[in-house]
Amino acid sequence: MSDTPSHGPVNSVMPKWVRCPQDFVGGLALVAIAAFALWASSDLQGMRGFSFGAGTAPRMFGVLLLLLGVGISVMGLLFEGPQIAKYHWRGPFFVSLSILVFAVAIRPLGLVISAFVAFLVAGMGTPETRWKETIIVGICLTIGCSLLFPYALGLPLQLFPRFLIQ
Amino acid sequence: MADLFSNLALGFGVAFTPINLLLCLIGALVGTLVGVLPGIGTIATVAMLLPITFGLPPVGALIMLAGIYYGAQYGGSTTSILVNIPGEAGSVVTALDGFQMAKQGRAGPALAIAAIGSFFAGCVATVLIAVLGAPLTKLALAFGPAEYFSLMVLGLIFAVVLAKGSVLKAIAMIVFGLLLSMVGSDIETGASRMAFNIPELADGLGFATVAMGLFGFAEIIRNLDAGSESDRELVQQKVTGLMPTAKDLKDSAPAILRGTVLGSILGILPGGGAVIASFAAYTLEKKISRNPQRFGRGAIEGVAAPESANNAAAQTSFIPLLTLGIPPNAVMALMVGAMTIHGIVPGPQVMQKQPELVWGMIASMWVGNLMLLVINLPLVGIWVRLLRVPYRLMFPCIVIFCAIGIYSVNNAPVDVILAGVFGLVGYWLIKHDFEPAPLLLGMVLGPLMEENLRRALLISRGDWSVFLTRPLSAVLMAIAAFLLVLAVLPSLRKKRDEVFVESEN
Repeated sequence: MSDTPSHGPVNSVMPKWVRCPQDFVGGLALVAIAAFALWASSDLQGMRGFSFGAGTAPRMFGVLLLLLGVGISVMGLLFEGPQIAKYHWRGPFFVSLSILVFAVAIRPLGLVISAFVAFLVAGMGTPETRWKETIIVGICLTIGCSLLFPYALGLPLQLFPRFLIQ
Repeated sequence: MADLFSNLALGFGVAFTPINLLLCLIGALVGTLVGVLPGIGTIATVAMLLPITFGLPPVGALIMLAGIYYGAQYGGSTTSILVNIPGEAGSVVTALDGFQMAKQGRAGPALAIAAIGSFFAGCVATVLIAVLGAPLTKLALAFGPAEYFSLMVLGLIFAVVLAKGSVLKAIAMIVFGLLLSMVGSDIETGASRMAFNIPELADGLGFATVAMGLFGFAEIIRNLDAGSESDRELVQQKVTGLMPTAKDLKDSAPAILRGTVLGSILGILPGGGAVIASFAAYTLEKKISRNPQRFGRGAIEGVAAPESANNAAAQTSFIPLLTLGIPPNAVMALMVGAMTIHGIVPGPQVMQKQPELVWGMIASMWVGNLMLLVINLPLVGIWVRLLRVPYRLMFPCIVIFCAIGIYSVNNAPVDVILAGVFGLVGYWLIKHDFEPAPLLLGMVLGPLMEENLRRALLISRGDWSVFLTRPLSAVLMAIAAFLLVLAVLPSLRKKRDEVFVESEN
């Protein structure tokens, strides 16, 4: 795949002494995650004599991740490596939005509406979408899902909005 | 030996009931479909179909899920050969020589050899599971908490050694996974850990949820990044002359054998799996070939070996799960999920208490492989036509299917949102060249590791040397240390990178 970012000087926000921004930033992010986990588990009980408390293992792994994150960042300073890859906003944004729409709508509005709307939102994730085609496929998918999940598979999914049923 | 036959007979009795045959067929077909379609992997599919198996009897559920796993190995090879698009990570290397063969008008023999190799490997692996199952179960009984912990350390180290790229980053991903597995209630004290009073987190992060995010959603987002699809150059000559020539068979027979052996070994080892096995088999063939320059130009060994290896590995990776209760890779971890839903705790006791479940599944694998051999070749035309469905229509469908799948596991909208969040996390990981697979393995093994670590230390009264003084545990730790040293040694690193670079071009 074409994800491996290219080497060499691309205009970067990083100062020059960061030789591999990809690893440097990646390592720092892991440090942040580890620090967050350590904070989140700070209220848990630690070792009691020689037996583990609830907080022992999380803290152990937290410290380990912290050290590894620091290690990766330092390596990013010392060794030449790729720049940070380019991010695109369109795909991630609309796919996330579609997931969010589905999650919020499925309880109150039922499967039919939430699946169809989420499908259209996801479709916006690429500029290649042709609307007529997408809407037709969306309708087919919605009908298919409405038959497959609640009927063929017997999952307890509500099809239509709650206020219509009551 | 008599035991073996009576066990297999029991298994075939279970596998040949009409309902199980049907489920096996469905699993194999869905697996092939997933293998054919790029952009949706085995892990995401098994996670997606997990809720579907709720309503099935446990044996049927496992038979179907197993079918998806090895079916995907078959499907991946078809598109690799015909279209040069590996639908499945395990068949990336098959595309190297397979597509060249297709260009030379030898698509038929390539497909046939891939199918025959896979079938042979599947048969051997089935027998291997049956033979090794009982003795390994006995070995498992000799395992104490210290040994279990050491074995899992070994498995994680294996995953590091076999992962591509930086060793440090792979270890970091495993620890990240271990940390994620800590979320939820503590097993012993019941204390809520890092759950922030969110009721949905009290039980921990769902494994299927994280897997779907990292492997389903993240993959979709990444594919969208790639922009307009690369032209799918279809080999549209009619696939004629399916039968390989006598020379083809003679050339590929030893390759199939070597691929099967290598794949079986790599499948059993924790941290291994189908993807690694196919890479390793291809490299081995190239190494020992008398004229390696033929590889990449349509050498039939280059199709036979990796295809046999990935199928063998897909099946033998059930061995550690069924005997020791340790999932060696992410798909097996999802199988644990499927078993737990049905109230089965994987491990040595399953073989003894529910033999019909274990042997039924093993026998079904053989049946499934036979089905795949029969249905796969005639269906090639349909699979190729499916590839014409443009990604702009396919990806919203996958998003919706994934969303419904996750929602129906617990009927919890929060799970869907969490999966979305992990999709973004996965996208970020890809951008920074972190591999998500070790993360998932860490997350799977986390609770088991913590439990056994705690128990081992409790028994030894806090003495950490217990992992080195118990002989079995010491051996496992020594192997792990040895592997880790090997992995950071520059000479091996270079070779390891070569393998992956080769496969990406």
